[in-house]
Amino acid sequence: MSNDHRGPSAYDDPGTPEEITRRTFMANATITLSGIIGLGLAIPIIGSLIPKTGAGAITWSALDAAGFKQLQDSTNTPVQINFTLTGKDAYLPEQQSPESVWGVKVSMDKFKAARPDIYENPKGNVPYPAVNMGFAIFSPICPHLGCRYDYKPDRGMFACPCHGSTYDNDGKHLAGPATRGLDPLPLREQNGKAEITWIRYAPTIPDRIVVSYIN
Amino acid sequence: MLNWIERRTGFVSMTKDFLTEDIPGGASYWYVFGSATLFAMILQIVTGIFLTFFYAPSANTAYESTQAIYHNGFQHFVLSMHYWGASAMIALVFLHLLQVVIFGAYKSPREIQWIVGVLLLLVTMVLGLTGYLLPWDLDAYAASQVAINLTLQMPVIGQWIQYFAQDGTTLGTLTINRFFGLHVWLMPAALIALVGAHLAIFRWNGPAGPPVADPRPLKSGRFFPDQIFMDTVVSFGIFAIIVFLSFVFPPFLDLKADPANATFIPYPAWYFLDLFGLLNLMPGAFEVVGAIVIPGIATLILFLLPWIDRSTTRTTGSRKFILWLTAISLIIMLTLTFWSQHQIVVQEQTAPAPPPPAAATTTTATKTPASGGPVLGAAASATAGAAVFSTNCSSCHGALGQGTPGAFPPLANNPVVTGDPNKVIGIVLDGLHGAITVNGATYNGMMPSWKGTLSNGDVANVITYIRGSLGNKAGPVTKAQVDAYKP
Repeated sequence: MSNDHRGPSAYDDPGTPEEITRRTFMANATITLSGIIGLGLAIPIIGSLIPKTGAGAITWSALDAAGFKQLQDSTNTPVQINFTLTGKDAYLPEQQSPESVWGVKVSMDKFKAARPDIYENPKGNVPYPAVNMGFAIFSPICPHLGCRYDYKPDRGMFACPCHGSTYDNDGKHLAGPATRGLDPLPLREQNGKAEITWIRYAPTIPDRIVVSYIN
Repeated sequence: MLNWIERRTGFVSMTKDFLTEDIPGGASYWYVFGSATLFAMILQIVTGIFLTFFYAPSANTAYESTQAIYHNGFQHFVLSMHYWGASAMIALVFLHLLQVVIFGAYKSPREIQWIVGVLLLLVTMVLGLTGYLLPWDLDAYAASQVAINLTLQMPVIGQWIQYFAQDGTTLGTLTINRFFGLHVWLMPAALIALVGAHLAIFRWNGPAGPPVADPRPLKSGRFFPDQIFMDTVVSFGIFAIIVFLSFVFPPFLDLKADPANATFIPYPAWYFLDLFGLLNLMPGAFEVVGAIVIPGIATLILFLLPWIDRSTTRTTGSRKFILWLTAISLIIMLTLTFWSQHQIVVQEQTAPAPPPPAAATTTTATKTPASGGPVLGAAASATAGAAVFSTNCSSCHGALGQGTPGAFPPLANNPVVTGDPNKVIGIVLDGLHGAITVNGATYNGMMPSWKGTLSNGDVANVITYIRGSLGNKAGPVTKAQVDAYKP
């Protein structure tokens, strides 16, 4: 590797036993000190990568009045209702984004019979009435892997374009890979306006675990 | 196991080859600076890589994401290590250079190794300069503005260097992106390539050994473990110092970059203080000498040092001229550095105290004046005034008080705003029209009368706000003063 213009190599001479002991010590000390440096770097770096997992604060968003009126006037056909979601993404300023939910007119008894994924699985249940004022409101996110599903009037069902999960008008899971029905959201009336709370539940699993209230 | 790997990769013999190197005259703590610089570089690369996980380069996110880093203990610590690691790396580069010069190790056959080393020094300085802008706080903005504008001292090409550095005519979001690309991709890539070349050439030539007339008869020492042990001990010490400084003296983040802030005095990083001092020494027309000519000549001398030094041996006795030149340069650089630091301290002591941060000002107690009824404390008054300002004033005077050229004067750095409070109250209550001159510029817009539109309390609040914010540092105005105002 190097120019051959020097005298005999230090590596030709194995050295005295003291020298060998000293070299072993130096080699071990080098490895130990390097290890401590590595650890001193790894701890803050791994710590810095730990994500925040808070779901954020619960807020209420007013539904578009015309959309809600359409739901009130509907029969058992689901209605898509727009609203503005105020979201907070890390350090970015609060932003308003157009969102929508699906609403359907349904009686409590009919809904209870149609949705065992809510009423027969204690961990799939929600801590608020899933039917309020005679309406159920569904999150627009497919509980399989988080795609946005759509309503197919000709087939009379909700269908997800990603992996083909289908749900009836009451949000009951009909076919496809999803493991639960559509997620009901809390609905309330405040100052003459219908309001909902945005909740994102963990996908894929039969249970409903809150992931985020803000986006 | 090792045999199994060796047969398939050759890594074991490669590692042995790598660690086997004769050190003429034996291992020495004199030779640790190159390895220590390499260690600091690795530290910078590791911490820097992880900082890109949290930092977002744009005018809308650079400061905000840096603030988020400061709010996370671990992330702040990684940032602190990167901050102190930068200082360590630059200090070590200079120590390494100094050792090589003292030992005359740049002499034949190591001229190219030396030139690569000088290039590494320049790349390291560019890394320090480009990293300074990224937090996008007042200091980052103002200091980078000065550094970029200094290129204008260069005839003809200066303007184009400025456009290229800024990616346009002004320092803004494109500049952040450009500096980010330079700091995170281009310069580190150049650094790694040059370090690779530097080390490969080092292995080709072998270590230079002590500065004696003929190093050949010297007994050799081993690179591993003798020299590596010393390198590791020193690197460990440097790491311990960086960890200590990161814990005890983490860097702090100023307010967000504000082009309208005229009172902020920017300071360069300590490793540019000598250039900063040189510039301050140069009167007006000679600025170009301090900014371009002297640093340019110094760099050229560094590049040409192997040819400037004509002595045939590396012994210190035969190289008195070079060593004296080095000593004098070093003394000048250190003197300029300490002198600049002293000037900064003096300037900071004589400058008006900056407004305390918002959290601290809430201690300004609510007072009850003789006329009865509680009034807001100065901080609360300024907060209320900020809302009044953004609703009623900012459309003409600008959100940062920067004004509208020709029509509406700036409120930032405007001596009338920070002057006699009664005059300011009069302008807000009664309005103002006709041409006025502020800081040499003429404005001929129309200020409406706010009497009747704003309550006297709101007038007091908004005046308190504009006098104490937007880069201004004048005292508050109370509702009682507004009540008592007579034209």
